[in-house]
Amino acid sequence: MEYILHILIMIVIYIMLAHSLNLVAGFSNMISLAHAGFYGIGAYTTAILSVNYDLPFLVTLPLAMIISGLVAMIVSVIALRTVDDYFIIITLGIQIVLFSIMNNWMELTRGPLGIPGIPSISILGLEFDNKVLFLLLSLILAGVVFFIIRNITTSPFGKVLKALSEDEIFTQSLGKNVYKAKIISFTTGAMIAAVPGVLYAHYISYIDPTSFTVMESIFILSIVIIGGMRNLYGAIIAAAFLIILPEALRFIGLPNNVAANLRQIIYGIILVFMMFRYSKGFVLQQKI
Amino acid sequence: MNQIIVNIVVTTAILIIVSQSFSLIYYAAKFFHLTHAVIITFGAYFFYLFSKQLDFNIWAALSLAVICATGIGMLAEISIYKPLRKRKTTPLIMVITSLGLYVIMQNVISMIWGDDTKSIRTWDIKAGNEILGAYITDVQIVIIVSSLVLFIGIFLCLKYTKIGKNIRAISSNEELSNIFGINSNRVILWSFGIGSALAAIAGILVAIDTDMTPTMGFNLLLYGVVAMIIGGVGSTWGLVGGALLLATAQHLSAYYIDSKWMDAVAYIILILFLIWKPLGFSGKRLKKIEI
Repeated sequence: MEYILHILIMIVIYIMLAHSLNLVAGFSNMISLAHAGFYGIGAYTTAILSVNYDLPFLVTLPLAMIISGLVAMIVSVIALRTVDDYFIIITLGIQIVLFSIMNNWMELTRGPLGIPGIPSISILGLEFDNKVLFLLLSLILAGVVFFIIRNITTSPFGKVLKALSEDEIFTQSLGKNVYKAKIISFTTGAMIAAVPGVLYAHYISYIDPTSFTVMESIFILSIVIIGGMRNLYGAIIAAAFLIILPEALRFIGLPNNVAANLRQIIYGIILVFMMFRYSKGFVLQQKI
Repeated sequence: MNQIIVNIVVTTAILIIVSQSFSLIYYAAKFFHLTHAVIITFGAYFFYLFSKQLDFNIWAALSLAVICATGIGMLAEISIYKPLRKRKTTPLIMVITSLGLYVIMQNVISMIWGDDTKSIRTWDIKAGNEILGAYITDVQIVIIVSSLVLFIGIFLCLKYTKIGKNIRAISSNEELSNIFGINSNRVILWSFGIGSALAAIAGILVAIDTDMTPTMGFNLLLYGVVAMIIGGVGSTWGLVGGALLLATAQHLSAYYIDSKWMDAVAYIILILFLIWKPLGFSGKRLKKIEI
Protein backbone atom coordinates (compact mmCIF):
# COMPACT_ATOMS: atom_id res chain seq x y z
CA MET A 1 0.00 0.00 0.00
CA GLU A 2 2.83 2.38 0.93
CA TYR A 3 4.44 1.49 -2.39
CA ILE A 4 1.31 2.28 -4.42
CA LEU A 5 0.93 5.57 -2.58
CA HIS A 6 4.55 6.43 -3.37
CA ILE A 7 3.99 5.80 -7.07
CA LEU A 8 0.80 7.88 -7.01
CA ILE A 9 2.61 10.81 -5.36
CA MET A 10 5.40 10.65 -7.96
CA ILE A 11 2.81 10.58 -10.74
CA VAL A 12 1.10 13.68 -9.34
CA ILE A 13 4.47 15.49 -9.08
CA TYR A 14 5.30 14.68 -12.69
CA ILE A 15 1.82 15.68 -13.86
CA MET A 16 2.43 19.14 -12.41
CA LEU A 17 5.83 19.33 -14.11
CA ALA A 18 4.35 18.24 -17.41
CA HIS A 19 1.53 20.77 -17.15
CA SER A 20 3.91 23.61 -16.44
CA LEU A 21 6.08 22.61 -19.39
CA ASN A 22 2.99 22.25 -21.56
CA LEU A 23 2.28 25.93 -21.04
CA VAL A 24 5.79 26.77 -22.27
CA ALA A 25 6.36 24.13 -24.94
CA GLY A 26 2.86 23.26 -26.06
CA PHE A 27 0.94 26.49 -25.90
CA SER A 28 3.73 28.93 -26.70
CA ASN A 29 5.96 26.72 -28.87
CA MET A 30 9.14 27.20 -26.85
CA ILE A 31 10.61 23.71 -26.48
CA SER A 32 12.59 24.17 -23.29
CA LEU A 33 15.10 21.71 -21.89
CA ALA A 34 15.73 23.80 -18.78
CA HIS A 35 12.67 22.64 -16.90
CA ALA A 36 14.45 20.26 -14.54
CA GLY A 37 16.59 23.25 -13.56
CA PHE A 38 13.56 25.22 -12.39
CA TYR A 39 12.17 22.11 -10.71
CA GLY A 40 15.54 21.92 -8.91
CA ILE A 41 15.46 25.59 -7.94
CA GLY A 42 12.11 24.97 -6.25
CA ALA A 43 13.43 21.95 -4.40
CA TYR A 44 16.69 23.61 -3.32
CA THR A 45 15.01 26.84 -2.20
CA THR A 46 12.62 25.07 0.11
CA ALA A 47 15.32 22.68 1.35
CA ILE A 48 17.77 25.45 2.22
CA LEU A 49 15.14 27.70 3.78
CA SER A 50 13.44 25.03 5.86
CA VAL A 51 16.63 23.28 7.02
CA ASN A 52 18.72 26.36 7.77
CA TYR A 53 16.08 28.91 8.77
CA ASP A 54 13.15 26.74 9.92
CA LEU A 55 10.71 28.56 7.67
CA PRO A 56 7.27 26.93 7.28
CA PHE A 57 5.93 25.49 4.03
CA LEU A 58 3.51 28.38 3.50
CA VAL A 59 6.48 30.77 3.34
CA THR A 60 8.93 28.62 1.39
CA LEU A 61 6.44 27.70 -1.35
CA PRO A 62 5.84 31.27 -2.57
CA LEU A 63 9.52 32.14 -2.08
CA ALA A 64 10.56 29.14 -4.20
CA MET A 65 8.12 30.19 -6.90
CA ILE A 66 9.40 33.77 -6.84
CA ILE A 67 13.06 32.77 -7.03
CA SER A 68 12.43 30.29 -9.83
CA GLY A 69 10.38 32.91 -11.66
CA LEU A 70 13.09 35.56 -11.27
CA VAL A 71 15.77 33.24 -12.64
CA ALA A 72 13.49 32.25 -15.49
CA MET A 73 12.74 35.87 -16.32
CA ILE A 74 16.42 36.80 -16.44
CA VAL A 75 17.42 33.85 -18.60
CA SER A 76 14.41 34.09 -20.88
CA VAL A 77 15.21 37.69 -21.76
CA ILE A 78 18.43 36.33 -23.27
CA ALA A 79 17.25 32.95 -24.51
CA LEU A 80 14.22 34.33 -26.31
CA ARG A 81 16.43 36.16 -28.78
CA THR A 82 16.56 32.79 -30.50
CA VAL A 83 13.82 30.51 -31.79
CA ASP A 84 13.19 26.84 -32.55
CA ASP A 85 16.26 24.63 -32.55
CA TYR A 86 18.62 27.36 -31.35
CA PHE A 87 16.30 27.94 -28.42
CA ILE A 88 16.62 24.25 -27.51
CA ILE A 89 20.42 24.52 -27.49
CA ILE A 90 20.31 27.67 -25.33
CA THR A 91 17.91 26.11 -22.82
CA LEU A 92 20.16 23.05 -22.75
CA GLY A 93 22.97 25.43 -21.83
CA ILE A 94 20.86 27.05 -19.11
CA GLN A 95 20.02 23.62 -17.73
CA ILE A 96 23.70 22.70 -17.56
CA VAL A 97 24.61 26.00 -15.86
CA LEU A 98 21.82 25.51 -13.28
CA PHE A 99 22.93 21.92 -12.67
CA SER A 100 26.50 23.04 -12.36
CA ILE A 101 25.48 25.59 -9.71
CA MET A 102 23.57 22.93 -7.74
CA ASN A 103 26.48 20.53 -8.07
CA ASN A 104 29.37 22.91 -7.36
CA TRP A 105 28.29 25.75 -5.09
CA MET A 106 29.31 23.85 -1.96
CA GLU A 107 28.56 26.66 0.53
CA LEU A 108 24.95 26.98 -0.57
CA THR A 109 23.86 23.58 -1.84
CA ARG A 110 26.45 21.23 -0.33
CA GLY A 111 27.14 20.03 -3.88
CA PRO A 112 26.97 16.29 -4.59
CA LEU A 113 26.44 15.57 -0.88
CA GLY A 114 22.91 16.90 -1.15
CA ILE A 115 20.75 18.33 1.60
CA PRO A 116 19.40 15.75 4.06
CA GLY A 117 16.82 16.09 6.81
CA ILE A 118 14.25 18.27 5.09
CA PRO A 119 11.28 18.40 7.50
CA SER A 120 7.83 17.22 6.45
CA ILE A 121 5.26 19.81 5.48
CA SER A 122 3.15 21.34 8.22
CA ILE A 123 0.39 23.82 7.52
CA LEU A 124 -1.13 25.63 10.52
CA GLY A 125 -0.19 22.82 12.87
CA LEU A 126 -1.41 20.04 10.57
CA GLU A 127 1.50 17.66 9.84
CA PHE A 128 1.56 16.05 6.40
CA ASP A 129 3.86 13.28 7.52
CA ASN A 130 1.97 10.27 6.25
CA LYS A 131 1.59 9.39 2.63
CA VAL A 132 -2.21 9.58 2.39
CA LEU A 133 -2.28 13.16 3.62
CA PHE A 134 0.69 14.07 1.40
CA LEU A 135 -1.05 12.58 -1.62
CA LEU A 136 -4.16 14.64 -0.82
CA LEU A 137 -2.07 17.81 -0.55
CA SER A 138 -0.30 17.12 -3.85
CA LEU A 139 -3.61 16.35 -5.53
CA ILE A 140 -5.03 19.66 -4.32
CA LEU A 141 -1.98 21.55 -5.56
CA ALA A 142 -2.06 19.64 -8.86
CA GLY A 143 -5.72 20.61 -9.22
CA VAL A 144 -4.86 24.25 -8.59
CA VAL A 145 -2.04 24.06 -11.15
CA PHE A 146 -4.37 22.42 -13.65
CA PHE A 147 -7.00 25.13 -13.29
CA ILE A 148 -4.45 27.94 -13.44
CA ILE A 149 -3.01 26.58 -16.66
CA ARG A 150 -6.41 25.90 -18.15
CA ASN A 151 -7.51 29.42 -17.29
CA ILE A 152 -4.34 30.97 -18.70
CA THR A 153 -4.68 29.07 -21.94
CA THR A 154 -8.35 29.89 -22.44
CA SER A 155 -7.91 33.55 -21.50
CA PRO A 156 -7.22 36.28 -24.09
CA PHE A 157 -3.54 36.02 -23.16
CA GLY A 158 -3.69 32.29 -23.98
CA LYS A 159 -5.09 33.18 -27.38
CA VAL A 160 -2.09 35.44 -27.97
CA LEU A 161 0.22 32.57 -27.00
CA LYS A 162 -1.53 30.17 -29.38
CA ALA A 163 -1.41 32.75 -32.13
CA LEU A 164 2.29 33.43 -31.69
CA SER A 165 3.08 29.74 -31.65
CA GLU A 166 1.38 29.41 -35.02
CA ASP A 167 2.75 32.51 -36.67
CA GLU A 168 5.00 34.82 -34.73
CA ILE A 169 5.40 37.57 -37.27
CA PHE A 170 1.70 37.69 -38.06
CA THR A 171 0.88 37.99 -34.36
CA GLN A 172 3.34 40.83 -34.11
CA SER A 173 1.66 42.55 -37.01
CA LEU A 174 -1.61 42.49 -35.06
CA GLY A 175 0.05 44.71 -32.48
CA LYS A 176 0.70 42.05 -29.86
CA ASN A 177 3.97 42.17 -27.98
CA VAL A 178 5.27 38.71 -28.83
CA TYR A 179 8.55 39.01 -26.92
CA LYS A 180 6.78 40.06 -23.71
CA ALA A 181 4.13 37.36 -24.04
CA LYS A 182 6.84 34.72 -24.44
CA ILE A 183 8.74 35.98 -21.39
CA ILE A 184 5.56 35.93 -19.30
CA SER A 185 4.73 32.42 -20.45
CA PHE A 186 8.26 31.11 -19.80
CA THR A 187 8.37 32.74 -16.36
CA THR A 188 4.95 31.43 -15.38
CA GLY A 189 5.95 27.95 -16.50
CA ALA A 190 9.10 28.08 -14.38
CA MET A 191 7.19 29.40 -11.35
CA ILE A 192 4.72 26.54 -11.58
CA ALA A 193 7.57 24.04 -12.04
CA ALA A 194 8.92 25.14 -8.64
CA VAL A 195 5.75 23.79 -6.92
CA PRO A 196 6.44 20.09 -7.64
CA GLY A 197 10.07 20.79 -6.72
CA VAL A 198 9.00 21.99 -3.27
CA LEU A 199 6.72 18.97 -2.84
CA TYR A 200 9.44 16.57 -3.96
CA ALA A 201 12.00 17.99 -1.51
CA HIS A 202 9.64 17.69 1.45
CA TYR A 203 8.41 14.28 0.38
CA ILE A 204 11.78 12.56 -0.17
CA SER A 205 13.33 14.67 2.66
CA TYR A 206 16.72 14.48 0.92
CA ILE A 207 17.76 16.11 -2.35
CA ASP A 208 20.91 16.00 -4.42
CA PRO A 209 21.73 17.40 -7.88
CA THR A 210 21.31 14.06 -9.68
CA SER A 211 17.52 14.47 -9.57
CA PHE A 212 17.72 17.60 -11.72
CA THR A 213 19.89 16.64 -14.69
CA VAL A 214 19.48 17.12 -18.43
CA MET A 215 18.01 13.63 -18.61
CA GLU A 216 15.26 14.73 -16.25
CA SER A 217 14.49 17.65 -18.55
CA ILE A 218 14.30 15.31 -21.52
CA PHE A 219 12.02 13.03 -19.49
CA ILE A 220 9.62 15.87 -18.66
CA LEU A 221 9.60 16.95 -22.29
CA SER A 222 8.84 13.37 -23.33
CA ILE A 223 5.83 13.30 -21.02
CA VAL A 224 4.51 16.44 -22.69
CA ILE A 225 5.17 15.18 -26.21
CA ILE A 226 3.84 11.66 -25.58
CA GLY A 227 0.76 13.04 -23.85
CA GLY A 228 0.23 15.38 -26.74
CA MET A 229 1.18 19.01 -27.08
CA ARG A 230 -1.52 21.32 -25.67
CA ASN A 231 -3.31 18.30 -24.26
CA LEU A 232 -3.58 18.63 -20.47
CA TYR A 233 -5.45 15.35 -20.03
CA GLY A 234 -3.01 13.45 -22.24
CA ALA A 235 -0.14 14.57 -20.02
CA ILE A 236 -1.83 12.94 -17.02
CA ILE A 237 -2.01 9.59 -18.80
CA ALA A 238 1.52 9.91 -20.19
CA ALA A 239 2.97 10.74 -16.76
CA ALA A 240 1.19 7.77 -15.20
CA PHE A 241 2.39 5.49 -17.98
CA LEU A 242 6.04 6.58 -17.84
CA ILE A 243 6.22 6.40 -14.03
CA ILE A 244 4.53 2.99 -13.81
CA LEU A 245 6.61 1.57 -16.69
CA PRO A 246 9.89 0.98 -14.77
CA GLU A 247 7.96 -0.45 -11.83
CA ALA A 248 6.21 -2.85 -14.19
CA LEU A 249 9.55 -3.80 -15.72
CA ARG A 250 10.91 -4.47 -12.25
CA PHE A 251 7.77 -6.46 -11.49
CA ILE A 252 8.43 -8.91 -14.31
CA GLY A 253 11.82 -9.65 -12.78
CA LEU A 254 14.31 -7.35 -14.46
CA PRO A 255 17.09 -6.10 -12.21
CA ASN A 256 16.93 -2.48 -11.09
CA ASN A 257 19.55 -0.91 -13.35
CA VAL A 258 18.39 -2.77 -16.45
CA ALA A 259 14.82 -1.62 -15.77
CA ALA A 260 16.00 1.98 -15.49
CA ASN A 261 17.88 1.78 -18.80
CA LEU A 262 15.04 -0.07 -20.49
CA ARG A 263 12.57 2.59 -19.39
CA GLN A 264 14.68 5.28 -21.02
CA ILE A 265 15.06 3.21 -24.16
CA ILE A 266 11.30 2.70 -24.35
CA TYR A 267 10.48 6.37 -23.93
CA GLY A 268 13.19 7.25 -26.41
CA ILE A 269 11.59 4.94 -28.95
CA ILE A 270 8.13 6.39 -28.27
CA LEU A 271 9.58 9.90 -28.60
CA VAL A 272 11.09 9.09 -32.00
CA PHE A 273 7.84 7.57 -33.20
CA MET A 274 5.85 10.56 -31.95
CA MET A 275 8.10 12.75 -34.06
CA PHE A 276 6.91 10.92 -37.15
CA ARG A 277 3.39 11.83 -36.13
CA TYR A 278 4.34 15.45 -35.50
CA SER A 279 6.57 15.58 -38.55
CA LYS A 280 4.74 18.61 -39.92
CA GLY A 281 5.45 20.56 -36.73
CA PHE A 282 3.65 20.69 -33.44
CA VAL A 283 1.16 23.19 -34.72
CA LEU A 284 -0.50 22.54 -38.02
CA GLN A 285 0.27 25.56 -40.08
CA GLN A 286 -2.48 25.96 -42.58
CA LYS A 287 -1.48 28.00 -45.57
CA ILE A 288 -4.32 29.77 -47.28
CA MET B 1 51.68 29.25 -17.22
CA ASN B 2 53.28 27.16 -19.95
CA GLN B 3 51.31 24.20 -18.67
CA ILE B 4 48.08 26.13 -19.20
CA ILE B 5 49.07 26.89 -22.79
CA VAL B 6 49.72 23.20 -23.42
CA ASN B 7 46.36 22.29 -21.91
CA ILE B 8 44.62 24.93 -24.00
CA VAL B 9 46.23 23.59 -27.17
CA VAL B 10 45.19 20.01 -26.38
CA THR B 11 41.59 21.01 -25.58
CA THR B 12 41.42 23.19 -28.68
CA ALA B 13 42.60 20.26 -30.80
CA ILE B 14 39.84 18.01 -29.44
CA LEU B 15 37.20 20.71 -29.75
CA ILE B 16 38.18 21.37 -33.36
CA ILE B 17 37.66 17.73 -34.36
CA VAL B 18 34.33 17.47 -32.51
CA SER B 19 33.10 20.81 -33.73
CA GLN B 20 34.14 20.16 -37.30
CA SER B 21 32.56 16.72 -37.40
CA PHE B 22 29.33 18.18 -36.04
CA SER B 23 29.26 21.19 -38.32
CA LEU B 24 29.92 19.05 -41.39
CA ILE B 25 26.62 17.31 -40.72
CA TYR B 26 24.99 20.58 -39.76
CA TYR B 27 25.96 22.23 -43.05
CA ALA B 28 24.47 19.47 -45.14
CA ALA B 29 21.46 18.35 -43.12
CA LYS B 30 20.76 21.72 -41.41
CA PHE B 31 19.69 20.48 -38.01
CA PHE B 32 21.37 19.84 -34.65
CA HIS B 33 22.23 16.16 -34.82
CA LEU B 34 22.51 15.62 -31.05
CA THR B 35 22.80 11.85 -31.54
CA HIS B 36 26.31 12.75 -32.64
CA ALA B 37 27.23 12.71 -28.94
CA VAL B 38 26.58 9.00 -28.81
CA ILE B 39 28.66 8.39 -31.96
CA ILE B 40 31.61 9.89 -30.07
CA THR B 41 30.90 7.54 -27.17
CA PHE B 42 30.37 4.58 -29.48
CA GLY B 43 33.76 5.20 -31.06
CA ALA B 44 35.42 4.99 -27.65
CA TYR B 45 33.46 1.94 -26.50
CA PHE B 46 33.95 0.02 -29.75
CA PHE B 47 37.66 0.71 -29.44
CA TYR B 48 37.50 -0.63 -25.89
CA LEU B 49 35.61 -3.70 -27.12
CA PHE B 50 38.05 -4.52 -29.93
CA SER B 51 41.31 -3.58 -28.29
CA LYS B 52 40.73 -4.74 -24.74
CA GLN B 53 37.90 -7.25 -24.66
CA LEU B 54 38.71 -8.97 -27.96
CA ASP B 55 42.47 -8.30 -27.90
CA PHE B 56 42.89 -7.12 -31.50
CA ASN B 57 46.00 -5.19 -32.38
CA ILE B 58 45.70 -1.45 -32.00
CA TRP B 59 45.38 -0.47 -35.68
CA ALA B 60 42.80 -3.15 -36.44
CA ALA B 61 40.84 -2.11 -33.35
CA LEU B 62 41.07 1.53 -34.34
CA SER B 63 39.78 1.02 -37.87
CA LEU B 64 37.06 -1.42 -36.81
CA ALA B 65 35.85 0.97 -34.10
CA VAL B 66 35.71 3.88 -36.54
CA ILE B 67 33.88 1.77 -39.12
CA CYS B 68 31.30 0.50 -36.60
CA ALA B 69 30.61 3.96 -35.15
CA THR B 70 30.34 5.43 -38.64
CA GLY B 71 27.91 2.67 -39.53
CA ILE B 72 25.70 3.62 -36.61
CA GLY B 73 25.75 7.27 -37.64
CA MET B 74 24.80 6.42 -41.21
CA LEU B 75 22.16 3.96 -40.06
CA ALA B 76 20.50 6.72 -38.03
CA GLU B 77 20.45 8.91 -41.13
CA ILE B 78 19.04 6.20 -43.40
CA SER B 79 16.44 4.75 -41.05
CA ILE B 80 15.22 7.82 -39.15
CA TYR B 81 16.27 11.16 -40.59
CA LYS B 82 15.78 10.40 -44.26
CA PRO B 83 12.12 9.33 -43.94
CA LEU B 84 11.50 12.37 -41.74
CA ARG B 85 13.13 14.66 -44.27
CA LYS B 86 10.88 13.22 -46.97
CA ARG B 87 7.93 14.47 -44.93
CA LYS B 88 9.41 17.97 -44.97
CA THR B 89 10.04 18.04 -41.24
CA THR B 90 11.13 21.23 -39.50
CA PRO B 91 14.59 21.37 -37.88
CA LEU B 92 12.87 21.62 -34.49
CA ILE B 93 11.28 18.19 -34.86
CA MET B 94 14.58 16.81 -36.10
CA VAL B 95 16.37 18.02 -32.96
CA ILE B 96 13.83 16.33 -30.71
CA THR B 97 14.10 13.14 -32.77
CA SER B 98 17.87 13.18 -32.41
CA LEU B 99 17.43 13.75 -28.67
CA GLY B 100 15.19 10.66 -28.52
CA LEU B 101 17.76 8.65 -30.48
CA TYR B 102 20.46 9.88 -28.13
CA VAL B 103 18.50 8.66 -25.11
CA ILE B 104 17.99 5.24 -26.73
CA MET B 105 21.60 4.71 -27.77
CA GLN B 106 23.18 6.06 -24.62
CA ASN B 107 21.15 3.59 -22.59
CA VAL B 108 22.09 0.79 -24.94
CA ILE B 109 25.73 1.60 -24.16
CA SER B 110 24.99 1.66 -20.42
CA MET B 111 23.24 -1.69 -20.68
CA ILE B 112 26.04 -3.38 -22.60
CA TRP B 113 29.11 -1.93 -20.89
CA GLY B 114 27.76 -0.64 -17.57
CA ASP B 115 27.82 2.87 -16.13
CA ASP B 116 31.24 2.78 -14.51
CA THR B 117 34.37 4.48 -15.84
CA LYS B 118 36.33 2.32 -18.27
CA SER B 119 39.96 2.74 -19.18
CA ILE B 120 41.61 1.70 -22.44
CA ARG B 121 45.11 2.29 -21.22
CA THR B 122 47.18 -0.89 -21.08
CA TRP B 123 50.50 0.79 -20.62
CA ASP B 124 51.89 2.48 -17.51
CA ILE B 125 51.33 6.14 -16.97
CA LYS B 126 54.46 8.09 -17.75
CA ALA B 127 55.33 11.55 -16.53
CA GLY B 128 55.21 12.96 -20.04
CA ASN B 129 57.71 14.93 -22.05
CA GLU B 130 58.95 18.24 -20.83
CA ILE B 131 58.74 21.22 -23.16
CA LEU B 132 59.69 24.65 -21.79
CA GLY B 133 58.74 23.68 -18.27
CA ALA B 134 55.38 22.19 -19.25
CA TYR B 135 54.52 18.52 -19.35
CA ILE B 136 52.81 16.93 -22.32
CA THR B 137 52.04 13.23 -22.58
CA ASP B 138 52.54 11.16 -25.72
CA VAL B 139 48.80 10.76 -26.08
CA GLN B 140 48.34 14.50 -26.06
CA ILE B 141 50.93 14.89 -28.81
CA VAL B 142 49.02 12.30 -30.83
CA ILE B 143 45.81 14.28 -30.23
CA ILE B 144 47.35 17.53 -31.45
CA VAL B 145 48.96 15.97 -34.51
CA SER B 146 45.91 13.96 -35.58
CA SER B 147 43.62 16.90 -35.04
CA LEU B 148 45.85 19.06 -37.23
CA VAL B 149 45.99 16.41 -39.94
CA LEU B 150 42.24 15.80 -39.87
CA PHE B 151 41.44 19.50 -39.85
CA ILE B 152 43.60 20.22 -42.88
CA GLY B 153 42.36 17.05 -44.59
CA ILE B 154 38.71 17.99 -44.17
CA PHE B 155 39.41 21.59 -45.13
CA LEU B 156 41.04 20.50 -48.40
CA CYS B 157 38.39 17.87 -48.97
CA LEU B 158 35.62 20.47 -48.67
CA LYS B 159 37.46 22.79 -51.02
CA TYR B 160 38.71 20.55 -53.78
CA THR B 161 37.03 17.13 -53.94
CA LYS B 162 33.70 16.42 -55.59
CA ILE B 163 32.04 15.27 -52.35
CA GLY B 164 33.26 18.36 -50.54
CA LYS B 165 31.99 20.64 -53.24
CA ASN B 166 28.64 18.85 -53.25
CA ILE B 167 28.34 19.26 -49.46
CA ARG B 168 29.01 22.97 -49.80
CA ALA B 169 26.52 23.21 -52.64
CA ILE B 170 23.81 21.50 -50.61
CA SER B 171 24.53 23.68 -47.61
CA SER B 172 24.23 26.89 -49.56
CA ASN B 173 21.15 26.05 -51.63
CA GLU B 174 19.60 22.62 -51.59
CA GLU B 175 16.93 23.15 -54.23
CA LEU B 176 19.29 24.68 -56.73
CA SER B 177 21.80 21.86 -56.24
CA ASN B 178 19.04 19.34 -56.87
CA ILE B 179 18.27 21.08 -60.13
CA PHE B 180 21.93 20.74 -61.08
CA GLY B 181 21.70 17.02 -60.54
CA ILE B 182 23.23 16.69 -57.09
CA ASN B 183 21.42 13.99 -55.14
CA SER B 184 20.97 15.69 -51.78
CA ASN B 185 20.16 12.48 -49.90
CA ARG B 186 23.40 10.89 -51.03
CA VAL B 187 25.43 13.98 -50.16
CA ILE B 188 23.84 14.19 -46.70
CA LEU B 189 24.64 10.50 -46.18
CA TRP B 190 28.25 11.22 -47.13
CA SER B 191 28.40 14.07 -44.65
CA PHE B 192 27.00 11.79 -41.96
CA GLY B 193 29.64 9.21 -42.86
CA ILE B 194 32.59 11.61 -42.73
CA GLY B 195 31.25 13.42 -39.68
CA SER B 196 30.64 10.21 -37.74
CA ALA B 197 34.09 8.86 -38.58
CA LEU B 198 35.67 12.07 -37.29
CA ALA B 199 33.52 11.93 -34.16
CA ALA B 200 34.56 8.33 -33.51
CA ILE B 201 38.23 9.28 -33.81
CA ALA B 202 37.67 12.18 -31.40
CA GLY B 203 35.95 9.83 -28.98
CA ILE B 204 38.80 7.33 -29.11
CA LEU B 205 41.45 10.03 -28.57
CA VAL B 206 39.58 11.50 -25.61
CA ALA B 207 39.01 8.06 -24.12
CA ILE B 208 42.72 7.21 -24.32
CA ASP B 209 43.57 10.53 -22.70
CA THR B 210 40.97 10.71 -19.93
CA ASP B 211 39.04 7.38 -19.78
CA MET B 212 35.36 7.00 -20.63
CA THR B 213 31.80 6.85 -19.32
CA PRO B 214 28.57 6.36 -21.29
CA THR B 215 27.78 10.08 -21.03
CA MET B 216 31.20 11.37 -22.09
CA GLY B 217 30.02 12.34 -25.57
CA PHE B 218 27.29 14.71 -24.52
CA ASN B 219 29.44 17.35 -22.85
CA LEU B 220 32.06 17.10 -25.58
CA LEU B 221 29.44 17.58 -28.26
CA LEU B 222 27.87 20.53 -26.48
CA TYR B 223 31.28 22.22 -26.30
CA GLY B 224 31.61 21.53 -30.00
CA VAL B 225 28.20 23.11 -30.66
CA VAL B 226 29.11 26.13 -28.55
CA ALA B 227 32.40 26.50 -30.47
CA MET B 228 30.48 26.28 -33.73
CA ILE B 229 27.91 28.89 -32.73
CA ILE B 230 30.37 31.39 -31.27
CA GLY B 231 32.64 30.91 -34.25
CA GLY B 232 29.81 31.70 -36.60
CA VAL B 233 27.97 28.89 -38.31
CA GLY B 234 29.40 28.04 -41.70
CA SER B 235 32.89 29.43 -41.25
CA THR B 236 35.86 27.09 -40.95
CA TRP B 237 38.25 29.64 -39.46
CA GLY B 238 35.55 30.96 -37.17
CA LEU B 239 35.25 27.43 -35.86
CA VAL B 240 38.94 27.33 -35.01
CA GLY B 241 38.62 30.69 -33.29
CA GLY B 242 35.57 29.52 -31.38
CA ALA B 243 37.34 26.36 -30.21
CA LEU B 244 40.40 28.35 -29.18
CA LEU B 245 38.35 30.95 -27.30
CA LEU B 246 36.32 28.28 -25.53
CA ALA B 247 39.38 26.25 -24.53
CA THR B 248 41.20 29.35 -23.31
CA ALA B 249 38.26 30.53 -21.24
CA GLN B 250 37.80 27.09 -19.72
CA HIS B 251 41.40 26.60 -18.72
CA LEU B 252 41.82 30.13 -17.42
CA SER B 253 38.68 29.73 -15.32
CA ALA B 254 39.97 26.38 -14.11
CA TYR B 255 43.23 28.05 -13.12
CA TYR B 256 41.84 31.18 -11.50
CA ILE B 257 38.52 29.95 -10.07
CA ASP B 258 38.07 26.19 -9.98
CA SER B 259 38.01 23.43 -12.57
CA LYS B 260 34.48 22.43 -11.55
CA TRP B 261 33.05 25.58 -13.15
CA MET B 262 34.35 24.70 -16.64
CA ASP B 263 30.93 23.58 -17.89
CA ALA B 264 29.20 26.70 -16.68
CA VAL B 265 31.87 28.94 -18.22
CA ALA B 266 31.31 27.42 -21.66
CA TYR B 267 27.61 28.29 -21.60
CA ILE B 268 28.12 31.69 -20.05
CA ILE B 269 30.37 32.48 -23.02
CA LEU B 270 27.65 31.26 -25.37
CA ILE B 271 25.08 33.46 -23.62
CA LEU B 272 27.40 36.50 -23.67
CA PHE B 273 27.93 35.97 -27.38
CA LEU B 274 24.21 35.82 -27.95
CA ILE B 275 23.78 39.15 -26.20
CA TRP B 276 26.58 41.12 -27.82
CA LYS B 277 27.58 39.28 -30.95
CA PRO B 278 24.74 36.95 -31.88
CA LEU B 279 26.25 36.14 -35.27
CA GLY B 280 29.55 34.82 -33.98
CA PHE B 281 33.02 35.80 -35.22
CA SER B 282 32.34 35.43 -38.87
CA GLY B 283 29.27 37.62 -38.87
CA LYS B 284 27.43 35.35 -41.28
CA ARG B 285 23.73 36.12 -41.10
CA LEU B 286 21.47 33.61 -39.47
CA LYS B 287 17.73 33.97 -39.67
CA LYS B 288 16.94 32.15 -36.45
CA ILE B 289 18.82 34.54 -34.19
CA GLU B 290 17.50 37.66 -35.79
CA ILE B 291 13.71 37.59 -35.52
